[in-house]
Formats: sequence, structure tokens, C-alpha cells
Amino acid sequence: MLTTSTPVTGDAIKQAIENRDGRTLASFYADHAVTRIIDRNNPPSRPKEIRGRGAIASFWDDICSRMMTHHVDITLADGDRMAFSQACTYPDGAKVFCIALLRLEDGMIAEQTVVQAWDE
Amino acid sequence: MQDMRKVISRYATSGGARIAYQTVGNGSLDVVLVPGFPSNIEILWEDPGFGHLVKRLAAFCRLILLDPRGMGLSDGIDSRNPPDARGRAADILAVMDAAGSGRAALIGASDGAAAAMLAAAMWPSRCRALVLHGGYACFLASVMDAKALQAFASATEGAWGTGATLARLAPRRAADRALVGWWGRLERLSASPTAAAALVGMWGALDVRDSLPSIAVPALVLHRTGDAHVPVESSRALARGIPGARLVELPGEEHPIWMGDVDAAADAIEQFLTGEKPVAHGDRMLAALLVLRVLGMSSGAGRTVPGRHLGERMELFRDALPPVVARHGGHARWTRPDQAHARFPAAARAASCAVALRETAASLGLWVAQGIHVGEIDPSPEDLSGPVLDVADRIAARGSGPEILLSRLASELVSGSGLQFVDRGALAGIDCRAPLPLVAIASERHLEPRSRTAPRAANLDALTPREREVLALVADGLSNPHIAVDLGLSEHTVKRHVANILLKLDLPSRAAVAGLAARRDAP
Repeated sequence: MLTTSTPVTGDAIKQAIENRDGRTLASFYADHAVTRIIDRNNPPSRPKEIRGRGAIASFWDDICSRMMTHHVDITLADGDRMAFSQACTYPDGAKVFCIALLRLEDGMIAEQTVVQAWDE
Repeated sequence: MQDMRKVISRYATSGGARIAYQTVGNGSLDVVLVPGFPSNIEILWEDPGFGHLVKRLAAFCRLILLDPRGMGLSDGIDSRNPPDARGRAADILAVMDAAGSGRAALIGASDGAAAAMLAAAMWPSRCRALVLHGGYACFLASVMDAKALQAFASATEGAWGTGATLARLAPRRAADRALVGWWGRLERLSASPTAAAALVGMWGALDVRDSLPSIAVPALVLHRTGDAHVPVESSRALARGIPGARLVELPGEEHPIWMGDVDAAADAIEQFLTGEKPVAHGDRMLAALLVLRVLGMSSGAGRTVPGRHLGERMELFRDALPPVVARHGGHARWTRPDQAHARFPAAARAASCAVALRETAASLGLWVAQGIHVGEIDPSPEDLSGPVLDVADRIAARGSGPEILLSRLASELVSGSGLQFVDRGALAGIDCRAPLPLVAIASERHLEPRSRTAPRAANLDALTPREREVLALVADGLSNPHIAVDLGLSEHTVKRHVANILLKLDLPSRAAVAGLAARRDAP
């Protein structure tokens, strides 16, 4: 298990996402974490599921390799639950907006549900 | 399915030239599809095979489509000084930059493979993986010699815009006149004749064999064993030359990646790029299939038109059918000179298309039999086959024209379309299945079900004077709010009157009420 010196807080998530720091982001997840993504191609009854920190790290690695800007606008925390919204822009102007809901276990992200919409 | 109308074409800048691209899909992985010749990213969407490939790939990635320099929406080339593979590789990178893709898997198809290989060799940090389809490292060594290429380039220029290059890339499909017509359009909108000849001529200079050993990213090499344009040996050589490359030979002979068995290619690519075996993409879909057979000239025409004109009429009908089907949201192919198959997303469309086709055929003095059935089919866009088609075929064979026969099942999905049906017995069951009831589209549209042809002796005396007033207005086609205004009643009261009328006369609908009133008024 990776050790992290950065506790999982709204600010830490905001920093890591906005700096496209995939490695730090991956370190926020528990080993058995699950990320579910719901979008046009992955409807609610069949969300895309990314299981385990390895796969989630690879997911963030891909996202962070994109030369785009991310703005994390709102972060909310309520006990072991967190939520944030994220607005992203590609260099050609295409925008993505997503809302993520998180459940933490022992200070690490155990479950994440992302709902996203894209300009296409 | 993604709708082309919602896909935005954008332009990247590469060394002063503009390269057109589109992005489709929301996946975290970026995949760039570098297509072969000819290409126009807006026209290609019209082909169901291309649409299906894009749908399959965009389901797990963000797919970036581009028109190579000199083709489609991208800037033209200087035909005396066409870009080399290096220039085309730089164009890929420029598109990735514009789309914000730091690292992408590259799919190089046909002549796009050389550019993709070079990009992977030159910029390994930008390339996550490499997939090649029907590709080659050196055209002259793998595909044809310089003399043959020169002849092909000259033939291409001469026949450009007629769809003639289809015969080279997918010969088995070259008998499909509608496809040839569309291919001609693709040619015209992908390049001018001079540019096309220059692009073909440029293939002779493609040789990236020296770069193969320096490709350090995971590579998958796909090739259809019967590829009509590029022999499979070419990809076997690629797989030997690229360190660690995996070769997968697929059945089929179509050269373009988006023709033929698109799913086999998409399955291999998805598994390679995601590491996951594609879920049986529960993609079997419900469709309505129409089989049309031309039986000959209608007897009326036979008396006035000499038989030798049959061929001419057939030609006209063969050309007229695909657009009629397309207008009804379907996709058609002539599978024999006198037989066409079409599929539609809904039974009502198939039925109304059949009516339109019957009219088209009649205007040409042709007699056609048509059969419609519904069921789950393989979404593979070409070569419809399977049990649903077999049944539609047997239904069509049962018809003697010009009746349009449907399975009862199909007719039940058409409710609300205004079409009415009459029973036509049943098709004997095969494989221990129950016989399949058949119906024919009634030649007239009736206001009430055909089964009620004997007007019941409805007793209008049972109605109150007010209800009779309401009945008269319903028969005139007025809506409840109109009737309410006319009679100075509330809409709610009118509704209650109408419900009482239906109840007292035992009629199923307002339309039936109108029909009854009309019959009673008739002399």
C-alpha cells in the first residue's frame, strides 16, 4: 500500500486535479476503491466501473496526460462523505463538467461516483 | 448511437496547414484513428459500418478522428510536392495537441499505418499504444511495384469520382450500386482528381521500414487474411519488425477497417487497449427487416410496354430503392439483381417504406412482393443474415405482389401508424415452431379495425339529444375543447359525453364514432 503524506481533503483534491497530478490523486484511494462513471456512453444502469487503485491510477494517468485545464469549484465535506464539482476545458474549447461524490474509509477514498457531461 | 449532426469538426494547425478532426466519446483513454484513402470525416459518418466502428471504439475511449492532409476537410496538398510520412506523422501530433491529448493510442489504417508507426517511433512519450490495420511499412515492397502503382494512379485520376476505387479496396462490395454511388461521392468530397492521383503516387515513397525497430510501445497488428488491396504478408512483416508486436489475422477481404466485419476488428482493439475482453456487447438490436422481390412487370404495364424494357425499368428501380429506404430511416442492399434486403429501426417505418416502394415500383410498371418481420439481429451493418431475415424472406416468397405481407408480430408494433391489416393465414412453422400468423397491409386506411367491417346496428336512439349533438361534432373531427366551446359546455362535460357515447354504442374510439356517423349519413 502506498503511503501518502497528503490527507484527503477538498483542498488536496482540488490542488491535485488542477495541477494534473495523477500520482497524488491515485494515492488518495484505498486499495479496493471503486470509481463509477456515469455519462452518455455509460448510463446509470450500466456505469463504467474502475476497480482497485492500480486501475484508478491508470485512469488518472490518462486524464492527467490531457493538456486541458481543470477547475474544481465546489468541495463539500460531511463526515466520511465528500463532493466536488469540476469544470474542464480542452485547448480547442470543448468543455466537460462533472460532479463527483466520494465515500471515505479510514481517510482514503473507497467509493467514488462521477457524473459527467461533455461538449461533443 | 452518436449522431453525426452533433459531432463538431475542428481544425488543428500543422506547419501552416489545417488538419480537420473530430472527437467522439467520453473515455479516459485517448485514441486517434488515422484513416486510409479516401477520407472525409463528415461523409464517412453516412456509412453504417463507419458509424458502427466509431460507436464501438468511442464506447471505451475518447476517439479522435482526422482527415489526413490532402483529404476531406483538411487542407490540400501541393501535388508536385506531396507531404511524406514524416509530415503526416507531424499532422497526427498537431491534432493531438489541438485536442489536448498528451498521450494517445494510435490506430493507423491502410496508408495511415505508416504515419502512425512513424509517430510512435518519433514521439514515444506521446504514444500509449499502436494498432495497425491493413497496413504496410513499404508500399512498393508489399503492395504493388512502381509500374503497377503508376498505372493505378493514372486509372484513379481518370475514373475519380465514379466510385471506381471501391473495386480495388473491397471488390466484393463493388456490385452494390448504391454503395458505388456513395463511394463516388466520398471520392469527390475527399480530394480532386489531381490530388487523388498525387496521393496515390505518394504511396510509392512510403517506406518506414527503418523505423520499425525503434517502435517501443505495445503494438497490435491486424490484417484481414483476404485483404484485396494489401496482402496479409505485409502485416506479418510488420509484426516481425516491430519489437513485441502481436499479429492478429482476421477473416475477410475488405481493406478499409470500417467495412466488413467491423466487430472483429473492434473486439481485438478494445481488448488490446483496455486489457478487458469486450462484454458481449448486448448489442443485438431489435429491427424490422424488409425483403423485396421484383416479380416482373405488372400486367397493366405488360400490355402497353414491350418486354425488352424490363431491364431498363429494373435499372431505374434498383437506383430508386436505396434513397426511398434511406428516407424512411432504413438501410438497403440489393442482394440479387431482383431482390433487396432492408433493415429499419421500427416496424412502422418498414411498413410505410414498403408502401412507398410499392408505389415507386408501380410507377415503373413493376410488380413487387414484399415481406416484413421483426426480431433481434446482429448489428453488423452489412450482409444481413440470420433467422429473422430467413423468415422475412419466406414471407416475401409467399406474396404474389403487390400485397405487402407482415408477420402478425411486426404488424402489432405498427399500431398508431394509421395502417390497417387483414389476416393472410400463417407461415408453416419450421424447427418445431408454431406457425407464424401473417397479415397484409390493407389497401385503404380504415377508421376502425377491419374486423368490424359489418357495421353493427348501433342504436343511436340510446343517446340523449345532447350526446347526439356531441356525436355530430365528433364526426366532424372536432376536438373536445372545440366541442366544448361550440356547445357552451365545459371540456370535462364533453369528455363525459364522449365516454358515454362510446359506452352506449360499444365503440372503441372517437375515430370509430366518426366512421359510424359517416356510414349512417351515407345515402
